[in-house]
Amino acid sequence: MDSLVDVWPTPRAAYLHVPFCRHRCGYCNFSVVADRDDLIERYLKAIDKELRILGRPVVDTLFVGGGTPTHFDIKTLDRFLGMVGQRFQLADAGEWTMEANPEDITSEKITLLAEYGVNRISLGVQSFNPNKLALLERGHSAQVATAAVELAAEVIGNVSIDLIFAAPGETLADWLTDLELAIQLPLQHLSTYALTFEKGTRFWSRRERGDLQSPTESCEVDMYQRTRQVLAESLFKHYEISSFAKSDARCRHNLAYWQGCGWYAAGPGAARFVEGKREVNHRSTTTYLRRMESGQCPTAETEKITREQYARERAAFGVRMIDGIDLDVLTSETGISIAEICSDSIGLSISEGLVEVPSPHWIKLSERGILFADTVASRLLG
Amino acid sequence: MSENIRNFCIIAHIDHGKSTLADRLLEHTGTVARREMKEQLLDDLELERQRGITIKARAVAMDFKLGGKTYELNLIDTPGHVDFQYEVSRSLVCCEGVLLLVDAFQGVEAQTVANAYAAMEHELQIIPVINKIDLTHARPDEVAEEMMNSLGTDPDECVRVSAKTGEGIESLVEAIIAHIPAPTGDADAILQAMVFDSNYDDYRGAITYVRIMQGTVRTGQKIQFLRAGTQHEVVEIGRFVPHRESCAELKAGQVGYLICNIKSIGDVHIGDTISRAGSGAAEPLPGYARPKRMVYCGLFPSDGQDFSELRDALERLAVNDPSFEFEPETSDALGFGFRCGFLGLLHMEIIQQRLENESDIDLVQTAPNVTYEIVNKRGETISIHKPQDVPDPGDIEEFRQPIVRCSVIVPNDFIGAVMKLCQERRGIQQSQEYLGAQRAMITYHIPLAEVVYDLHDKIKSCTRGYGTLDYEMVGYEAADLCRLDIMVNGNRVDALSVVCNRADADRRGRAVAKKLKAEIERHMFEVAVQAAIGSRVIARETVPAMRKNVTAKCYGGDITRKRKLLQKQKEGKKRMKAIGNVEISQKAFMAVLSDNEQD
Repeated sequence: MDSLVDVWPTPRAAYLHVPFCRHRCGYCNFSVVADRDDLIERYLKAIDKELRILGRPVVDTLFVGGGTPTHFDIKTLDRFLGMVGQRFQLADAGEWTMEANPEDITSEKITLLAEYGVNRISLGVQSFNPNKLALLERGHSAQVATAAVELAAEVIGNVSIDLIFAAPGETLADWLTDLELAIQLPLQHLSTYALTFEKGTRFWSRRERGDLQSPTESCEVDMYQRTRQVLAESLFKHYEISSFAKSDARCRHNLAYWQGCGWYAAGPGAARFVEGKREVNHRSTTTYLRRMESGQCPTAETEKITREQYARERAAFGVRMIDGIDLDVLTSETGISIAEICSDSIGLSISEGLVEVPSPHWIKLSERGILFADTVASRLLG
Repeated sequence: MSENIRNFCIIAHIDHGKSTLADRLLEHTGTVARREMKEQLLDDLELERQRGITIKARAVAMDFKLGGKTYELNLIDTPGHVDFQYEVSRSLVCCEGVLLLVDAFQGVEAQTVANAYAAMEHELQIIPVINKIDLTHARPDEVAEEMMNSLGTDPDECVRVSAKTGEGIESLVEAIIAHIPAPTGDADAILQAMVFDSNYDDYRGAITYVRIMQGTVRTGQKIQFLRAGTQHEVVEIGRFVPHRESCAELKAGQVGYLICNIKSIGDVHIGDTISRAGSGAAEPLPGYARPKRMVYCGLFPSDGQDFSELRDALERLAVNDPSFEFEPETSDALGFGFRCGFLGLLHMEIIQQRLENESDIDLVQTAPNVTYEIVNKRGETISIHKPQDVPDPGDIEEFRQPIVRCSVIVPNDFIGAVMKLCQERRGIQQSQEYLGAQRAMITYHIPLAEVVYDLHDKIKSCTRGYGTLDYEMVGYEAADLCRLDIMVNGNRVDALSVVCNRADADRRGRAVAKKLKAEIERHMFEVAVQAAIGSRVIARETVPAMRKNVTAKCYGGDITRKRKLLQKQKEGKKRMKAIGNVEISQKAFMAVLSDNEQD
C-alpha cells in the first residue's frame, strides 16, 4: 500500500472555461462576463499561455464549457479551436465536448466545430416553454432550440441538452411538456437540473424579497421521479443523479470527475485536479487576465488532499452514479479501505434503506437513496 | 470617640441619583478633591461597576469638621439594585441611619417604599432626601407629600438637594450629623464585629469588610470567625477613604477592613461575626437571615465545553452573593449545566448579565420557575425547584404555589390597565391608595409564577414605562396546577417542561408546540411535537418528513465546494442535541425558551 502514497492519477481529461456570455442569466453563478467582448483577445492569449506549459498532453476527453464557448464569432472560434488543438492531443476515439447556446448555432459554426474534431455538443436549452425561457432570461425560443439540436445532430451526431425543472411557477404538467418535446429530438444525452438558487445571483435576492417562489418540495420530487420514468421509457438510461444517456453516450468527461480521475483545467474559475491537488483559478475574468499577463499564477485556491480524503471524495461523488461504486477498486486505487473507515456510515445508510449492496464490495443508492444522495455523500465524507 | 461617628447608607430606587449623591458627599467632606473626582473615583467606580461585586456594599469613611469637632461619616453603599431586601438589610445592620433618596420628578417608586419599610424595621433614623431639584420639571412639594402619604415622613424634614449641582449638600451633611444617632458600643468590651462584605485582592487575598459593634481590633491581633470557626492573625487594618488606607486599630462603631492572609474568599462568610481568638469570645451576632430563593432556572453553556468555565464563574459570583445558589443539573436537551436559585427576577437577570459580561459565556436559560410545594398522597410536603421533579398527577394530593403581595405604583391614567392585567394574572386586589394628585399605589396578591412569567414586562408596557413593581412573599396557597411537558416523537424534552395553571395549559402547550415545530429541521422521518399533561396530549404539531436531500448538479469544479458545504452542514448537526432520534439545534431551544408566547 505504501507505494500508493504519492501516486496520483495522471490527468487524461481537460476542462477549458470560456467566460464570455451575451447576457448573465438570473440564476447563474458561474464565472462569467457579459457584454465584455473587448476582453476576448486578451483571454485567448492568456489561456494559451496557461496551457502552453502543459506540453501538449494526450487526453481522452476535452470539455469546453462556460460561459458560452460558441459566443465567439466565427473567426475567433476558428482561432480558439486551433489553439486548443495545438495544446492538447486528443487520443483516438477521444471525446471533445463543446457547450453551446442554441441562438449561437449556425451551420457555419457547427461545421467549423466538426472540422476541428468536436464530436459532442451540449446545448443549454433549459426549456421549450416561452414563459419559462423568459423567466430564466434565456435568449432563444423553442423553435431556435429545436433547429439547433437538429443541426448539431446532423453535423456532429452526439448531442446533449440541459433542461431545468422546478423553475418558479412551473407545474408538473409544464415540465412533462418540456420532457415530451425533448425526447422527440435526436438526442443522445440529457442533463436535468432542479433550479438551484445560488447566493450572489439575482434569483437569490429575488427569492429573498419574496419575488420568486420555488415549487414545493413534493412537486420537485414528483418532477424528478417522472423525469426518470419518462426518460427510461425513451431508452435514456439514468446513470448519474442528473444525467441520462442513450446506450453508450454517457459523458466520459463527467464520468472522469465522478470516478476521481485527474484533469487539467484552464480559464477563469476553472477547477483542476492534478497530482493530488485540487486547485481553482481566480473566478474574476479580469483578475485572471491580469495575473496571466503579469506572469503570476492564476490559481486562487489550492488544496492538497490526503489519501483518505481522496478515498472519501471518490466514494461520496462516485456514489452519485446510479450503478454505484466498486469499493475494492477504490481500495486498490487509493490505498484506503472505505468499507472499513466508513463501515458505520455505510451501515446506517443501508439500515435506513438509502444504500444497497448489489454484489459484494459494491454499494449503490437505492431508489429512495437517489433522493437522499447528499445525506449518503455527507456520511461518506466523514 | 464613637459619639463623633455617623454610620449611614443611602437607599433609593434605581436612577434616583444615589451614586451622584455619594460623589458629592465625598467631595463636600474633602475626602476626594473635585479635581481627582473624575479621574480617580469615577474610574474606580466604573471598574467596580464592571466587576459588579464590591459596588454592592462599598464603604467609605469621610472625616468632616463641624463646629470645632471632627466627625467620621461612614457611608455604607447599598446595592445598586435596592430591591434586594436581603442585600439592603446587610447594609442596614451596620448603620444607625439612612438617607431615603427620592427623585424630585419621578417621586416615590415601588422599591422606595419597600426599602423605607426595611429601614423602619431595623429602627433606623430616616432622613428623607429629595434629589434633582434642579430639574425643570422637579416637583419637590408634591413629592414630599407623596412621601408623607406613602412613608409617613414629615414634609418639613425633607432635605432638598441637587446631587448634580451640589445645591443643598451642606445642609444634608449637617442633617446627617444632627439627626443620625452615634453608634453605641463599648470600645473596651470584647471584640464583636460584623462581616458585611468581602472581596478578593490578587496580592492580599480576601479583604473582609467589617463594622465593629463593640471592642477594638488591632494589627497583629489573633481573631476568630465565630461561625466558620477559623482563626487568623490580623495583618492589616484600615478604612476606605475611598481607597484602602491602613490604620493601627478600629474601634466600636467604626467601619473598615481586615486583611488576614486568607487565601480563599470562600473562607469569609458574609454575616459572620469576628471576635478575639481563644476562649471568652463575644456572642455571635444574629447575622443575616438566610435569603429564600424564590425563582429558579437552569443555566447551560450554549457550547458544552464551557461547562467548567461556567462553574468557575458561578462560584465567583456566589462567593460575593450568598443569596444566589446553584447546583449541577443534567438535561437531555441542553447537556451539563446548573440549576440556579435567585431571590427574584431582577436578581436572576443581574446574575445572568454578570455571567455574560464577566465570563464571556453564552448562556441558554430555561424558563424561570418558582418554588412550588407539593403534598403527595403519603402526606409528605416536597419543595419543587424544577418542573421535571413534579411527580405524576396521580401522586399529588395538593399542589401549592407561592403568592406575593405586589405593589404597583402608577400614574392615575394607567390604573385601569394595570388592574385589568393583574386580574388576568389571577391577582386579588388588596388596596388602592392615592399617593398624590397624579399617582396611586395598587396592591394585589398574585401568584409569584405570574409575576415571574411576564408581569413586569407587561406592566412596563401597559404604563408606557411609568409603572413600577415590587413584591414580597406572602405564603403558599393551593392552586389548580399541572406540569406541562413537551414531547418530541414521544420523548419528553426536559428543558421545556413548565408548571402552569391548568386553565392556561392548552394555550401555552399549543404555543410552545407550534414554536418548536417551526424550529425543528426536517428529518428523514416525520417528527411529532406534542404538549402533554401526564399522559394526556393537549396539542400536536407535525414536522413532515424530508422528501429529498440531493443537489442536482455536480460538475468538476464543484467537488471541493460541495464537500465543504456538506461538511459544514455536518458540523452544524454535531452541535445539535438529540432527543431520541430527533436532532434539535440549540437555537431552537433558545427560540422556544426566550420569548414566552408572543404570538
